[in-house]
Amino acid sequence: MSTGRNEASHPRPSTRRLTRIAVLWLAVAAATFAPMRVATAQGRAGTVTGRVTEEGGVPIEGVRVQVVGTTLGTQTNQDGQYTLRGVPSGTQRFRFARIGFSETMQIVNVPDDGSATADVTMRAVGITLSPVVTTATGEQRRVEVGNAIAQVDAAKLTETRPINTLSDLLTARTAGVQVIPPNSTGAGARVRIRGTSSLSLSNDPIYIIDGIRMQSSTNSTSTSIGGTTPSRAQDLNPDEIESIEIVKGPSASTLYGTDAANGVIVITTKRGLAGRPAWTFFTEQGLVQDHNDWPENYTGVGTYLNRAGQPQTAACYLVRQAAAATSTSLCRLDSLATFNPAKDSRTSPLGTGHRQQYGVQLRGGSDAVRYFASGEWEEELGLQTLPSSERTRLDAAHLPIRDVMEHPNRYNKGTARTNLNISLPRNAELGLNAGFIRSFSTIPRADNNAQGWGPTLLGGPGLVDLDDLTSAYGFYDLGNVYQAENGQDINRFIGSVNANWNTTSWLSLRSNLGLDFTGRTDTQLCRFQECTTATQREGYRVDNRTNFLNYTVDFSGTGSFQPTPSLGSKTTVGVQFYRDVFNRNGANGSRLPPGAVTVDAAAVPGVSEATTESRTIGAFIEQSVSWNERLFVTAAVRSDDNSAFGKNFDAVYYPKLSVSWVASDEPFMPRPSWLDQLRLRAAYGASGRQPNNTDALQYYTTTTALANRTEFPGLIFNALGNPELKPERSTELETGVDFTLWGSRINGELTYYDKHSKDALINEIIPPSVGTVATTRLANIGEIRNWGWEWMFDAQPISRDNFGLDLGIHGSQNSNRIVSLGNTPPQYANPTDETAQVEGYPLNANFLRPYTYSDANGNGIIEPSEVQVSDELAFAGYSQPRTEISFTSGISFLQRSVRLSALVDYKGGYKVWNGTERYRCASFGNCRAQFDPSTPLDQQARAVAATWVTNTTDWGYVEDASFFRLREVALTYDVPQRWVGRALRGASRASITLSARNLALWTDYTGIDPESNYAQNDVQNDFLTQPPATYYQLRVNLGFGGR
Amino acid sequence: MRVINQNRSRSLTTMKLTGHRPRWRRHLVLAGLVVAAMVTASCSAAEKLLDVTDPDIINPTDVNSLEAADAVRLGALNRFALATTGATSSNNGDTEFLVSGMLADEWRSSDTFLERNQIDRRSVTTDNAEVELPYRRLNRVRLAAQLAIDKLTEFEGDSWKIAQMNLLLAYVENQMAEDYCNALPISTQNGGSIEYQDVLSTTEMFDLALTHVDAAIAGATGTTADAAAIREAAAVLRGRILINLERYADASAAVAGVPTGSGWVNGNSDNTTYVAAWFFNNSAARYSLGNGEGTNGLDFASTDPRVPNCVAGDAACTAAGAAARAFDPLTPQPLRVQLAWPTRTDDVLLMTGIEARLIEAEAALQAGNYGGAGGTLEKLNALRATVTGLAPLTDPGTPEGRVDQLFRERAFWLFGTGHRLGDLRRLVRQYDRSVESVYPTGAWWKGGNYGTDVVLQIPQSEEGNPQFSRAACVASEI
Repeated sequence: MSTGRNEASHPRPSTRRLTRIAVLWLAVAAATFAPMRVATAQGRAGTVTGRVTEEGGVPIEGVRVQVVGTTLGTQTNQDGQYTLRGVPSGTQRFRFARIGFSETMQIVNVPDDGSATADVTMRAVGITLSPVVTTATGEQRRVEVGNAIAQVDAAKLTETRPINTLSDLLTARTAGVQVIPPNSTGAGARVRIRGTSSLSLSNDPIYIIDGIRMQSSTNSTSTSIGGTTPSRAQDLNPDEIESIEIVKGPSASTLYGTDAANGVIVITTKRGLAGRPAWTFFTEQGLVQDHNDWPENYTGVGTYLNRAGQPQTAACYLVRQAAAATSTSLCRLDSLATFNPAKDSRTSPLGTGHRQQYGVQLRGGSDAVRYFASGEWEEELGLQTLPSSERTRLDAAHLPIRDVMEHPNRYNKGTARTNLNISLPRNAELGLNAGFIRSFSTIPRADNNAQGWGPTLLGGPGLVDLDDLTSAYGFYDLGNVYQAENGQDINRFIGSVNANWNTTSWLSLRSNLGLDFTGRTDTQLCRFQECTTATQREGYRVDNRTNFLNYTVDFSGTGSFQPTPSLGSKTTVGVQFYRDVFNRNGANGSRLPPGAVTVDAAAVPGVSEATTESRTIGAFIEQSVSWNERLFVTAAVRSDDNSAFGKNFDAVYYPKLSVSWVASDEPFMPRPSWLDQLRLRAAYGASGRQPNNTDALQYYTTTTALANRTEFPGLIFNALGNPELKPERSTELETGVDFTLWGSRINGELTYYDKHSKDALINEIIPPSVGTVATTRLANIGEIRNWGWEWMFDAQPISRDNFGLDLGIHGSQNSNRIVSLGNTPPQYANPTDETAQVEGYPLNANFLRPYTYSDANGNGIIEPSEVQVSDELAFAGYSQPRTEISFTSGISFLQRSVRLSALVDYKGGYKVWNGTERYRCASFGNCRAQFDPSTPLDQQARAVAATWVTNTTDWGYVEDASFFRLREVALTYDVPQRWVGRALRGASRASITLSARNLALWTDYTGIDPESNYAQNDVQNDFLTQPPATYYQLRVNLGFGGR
Repeated sequence: MRVINQNRSRSLTTMKLTGHRPRWRRHLVLAGLVVAAMVTASCSAAEKLLDVTDPDIINPTDVNSLEAADAVRLGALNRFALATTGATSSNNGDTEFLVSGMLADEWRSSDTFLERNQIDRRSVTTDNAEVELPYRRLNRVRLAAQLAIDKLTEFEGDSWKIAQMNLLLAYVENQMAEDYCNALPISTQNGGSIEYQDVLSTTEMFDLALTHVDAAIAGATGTTADAAAIREAAAVLRGRILINLERYADASAAVAGVPTGSGWVNGNSDNTTYVAAWFFNNSAARYSLGNGEGTNGLDFASTDPRVPNCVAGDAACTAAGAAARAFDPLTPQPLRVQLAWPTRTDDVLLMTGIEARLIEAEAALQAGNYGGAGGTLEKLNALRATVTGLAPLTDPGTPEGRVDQLFRERAFWLFGTGHRLGDLRRLVRQYDRSVESVYPTGAWWKGGNYGTDVVLQIPQSEEGNPQFSRAACVASEI
């Protein structure tokens, strides 16, 4: 047993760094209290109440009301009313802000110990972004922040778009956030923000939900099915989410601490609003279908002469058809047989899946207590099903067809959530958030798995015995593939307590305490005499039970004061502690007797245990200064220590500086009538990624050895360790301009960022001759750079009472370089992987041996001698999209009761290894390019280069994967309120949405789909992988009560 | 709307209004002291907060006892099994014996993996993972055995155990010299720091192996069964090394006392390793038994009882539970399955008395006694007489025929035990054969032609070793 945080013989560095953190904390505390003298001189306090309405008197709920220069603030209830207590007496400026409305300021004269009323009318505008963003130090006005922070209005999208998962909310929604959506029901998505920064650690962003860290691991399973895996972020129910904010890089994520360098996804769940109980019932029904072009399987049948000169029947590959007339391998093509088991109704498992969802939500409360409660159940039966030919075969053999074989890919989930917001005396606010998730999924074996359904479907021959349709499949029969059960059970609780106490008008204290607990059970089962290989047909069972515990303890205090009318100051200090625990007990057994399905029934049982734990403690101080409400400067520093740092490494410090200047508010700036607001911003900041728990340590691991035919426990030297290990440190400079034009009808943002990851953790390859079990050792020796542009333009060119048109274009371009590998050699992967890490090139760059070809003899067939493969590897392009653009448009008509919206997604500037076609050509030998003389020469050449030459290469299968996809189309009808009440007593609102996802694709990629991806890793994997399905959905929302 | 709890609100603001700064200062000082005390006190608590125990790993400080030293020895035995004959229950990579036999003519690739096809085709790129892993595993045996020797010496362990570790060291050093190029890197670690050492030529590596096998023989002096087994195995290995060094008479003398029935047992079980040949051939069908591969290959899939075999789908294969077809649909011939180890947990014998007799037979050939008393033919036929169905050999009558006959006998007796690639190299190096007359050559069975590799490539991952030179390695492979 070992102490992960290194031995007690090295206490000094740890004490020193903790002392430094303590000193920092004291310093920042002192700085926070410093303004007290000024603030305390302000005098008595009063209460201000009021009502916020639109022009015309309609109350506006959820308006944020803030007393400028203080920490005091609140929100309006369903009737647009608000109350603020403890407001310093005298003349105060109140700020009213809400998305969709122009920000409004009002001067309020607050009497000593008395009350004042401030009713406000706000003006609706065309397009606005949310005026407030969530930062590590709490909510903050957008204009004060020197970064671009993307926001997703989840509550609105879930009601009006085909949103089934968290990744649906993120995909193509904001600039700089790239999502490869899951292809299977229940699978995870890959999310990358501003490119890929880490060569050796995860490039996933971290997730914060209601103020606490959330378990979001990708490839979250302990059992392998070949590639497709779930992710824990997908556990969340999108219907419970109010909004999502995306903190994109270190310049903005500094105060989130070590681990935030890849960006932070901040999720806020729905909250209650004071007012009558408002019930919302909704249901969703949907179809899941496959509209992809699956390739035909080919067999060329011909005759050739063997060495004895006798005619033989053989697979008549093109290279044989082109052989010299004198060669015994010369083959004359007799017939070209094709069969497409994915399209033939007898053999295809691609049916129509069904999706259903039922939910109820309740929100309401009083000024003292506001509540939100929800419950939901959903089920998605994926599109795979047992084909009719296999059903017939199994029936004939009197073999059982279980439900899991009928629906091998399914997912169901039940969620419940209760959020309470309690206003306590003395301007204290307490938030209690509790969410529970229960889900179960089954995903059939797929992708890179010989026993998977992908190889079965894509690996069959073109020549099929129609009396025995099992001959249409690849390695194994589909019914046997589906006999294997792969399940995952999730029981998850996410609970947090958010306390906010405005102790005085100038000081607020904040805390977030929480736990995300996930209990995961992964199971696999092959019953006796079921499944595929001989070993599996002996029967086996896996039952692995894993607990994830993520604890968050977060305290901070903010002091605000205004020494002069034009100068504002805000100081925040905070300390945070994170603890992440993973522990798993696994059991497995092989050789089951008939009928047995448990581990203990196995003749050969086995067990496993794994535990990892990571702890981080950090403190920060942030000082913000505002000048005339138009210039905002923020400086901050954070220090972290982590249990995974090397014993010789001290604490890490991350600085931050940002400037936001609302230039259009300057008196000296010309202000043409079409310009509403022009803001310039710049930010610099640092953040990091911590190494994994045991990366710094030297250690042994255990094994079982056989000596004299007896088993003994043994020890093996595993890892060299690295006592100097420290976090990967990323610094980022971000600059940008935001503008609002023509009465907020046009909004725009343009951002440039330049991110350097220094001390990048490189998996330094340990030469095999050293003899360690570990093949690499992490060292802080690399440097990675990401830089690029992001832009966002939204326009509402037509906005009338009965008709509206809005357009949007969001995009980003990323460049990526490995600046240094720290004097270590380039890291080329083995021949079947196509990416490499080479200085001067992007991370995970495509590197292969190129080839040239020409049909020198003009016979229309590319022969091995006509393909010349280089001996040297060459750069073939980025493996990740460099450019992403999403186009959105919406039309509202019929008094704006009907809205038609669409989202088109473009990704480009990258290449993906078309492993499916490569494997079909070079390994299954069933692709068109191997048999059909009419195959285009370039496709023949790549098949020859991958198959028939000595120095094979997959260069030709690394293809441009740029595409346009019609990602979403939705038609929403808001039923007029008068009709709703008539049709259903008590109902106050209703809407119906018809929507579809993944409707059309335009691409030159020759694989099935350029977004086919089976894991959530840095390099996309299209390897016998299910392409994205198309979803058609109908959603009905029905509301009762409220206001 | 009324202000709730007016009194409380008032009490809060009263303090501000009255401006009792001294009182506030006292509060401030008090609060500061409290915070300072809390932070200071929390330092020691925070120190504890960051102390994490990982129960999955063993701290080096816990490996400091005689018992721990023995556990390290046992770990080395496991490393040795995985490097040579063992596979775990999942497809976790090939053994040195498999890949060297694939490059030679013992096995063919019936796999879709490009890596195995490269090996079979004698055209291996340096990034080939299926070569990298066996090479790593051989070196893991080196490190594990050396650590065990150090620990056993420190804690005064049994001498036979130290001898056993020297035997493993010698074995893998000899194997590396047989299978890899003439510029062999050897490195080690010391307290977590990598120590690179000068590369060794093939001869120098054989010499190093000889040193270690001599240490094994010297250390295995006891009368226990363990000590005796180590002595006999070490004697055979010593003979094998000496044959490689062309010291034929010394080799013969080294193995003279080894009983024909002896052998080092690499055992297998459900909890440790499976027979790798069974796993990759019989079960996974990624290897197919060689059968006249590339013009020069031997007919291992013949009816010779020393390499019993079947064709996938036939009665024997079905009875043995073997795979029904090759993994790779492009495989142009039916999967051929070995039955020398028909079950996953069979023993695999190394450093056998049979090998000792074959060494003596080769020494006799080199001494010019092929057909005479005590000559090569007599020794070979004595071995054949132990197996039903093997007819005695006759003298081919020509020097080349005799060499062919001897090496064919070695190939069948020592099938699947990591000798064949070394023998092909020796045929070129010691018997003046051309490469193209002994290695698989011509048209490769899945298309295209064989390449020119004669040894397994030292993998690209070794290029971070400053002592290693790819050029030196490539320059003198045979």
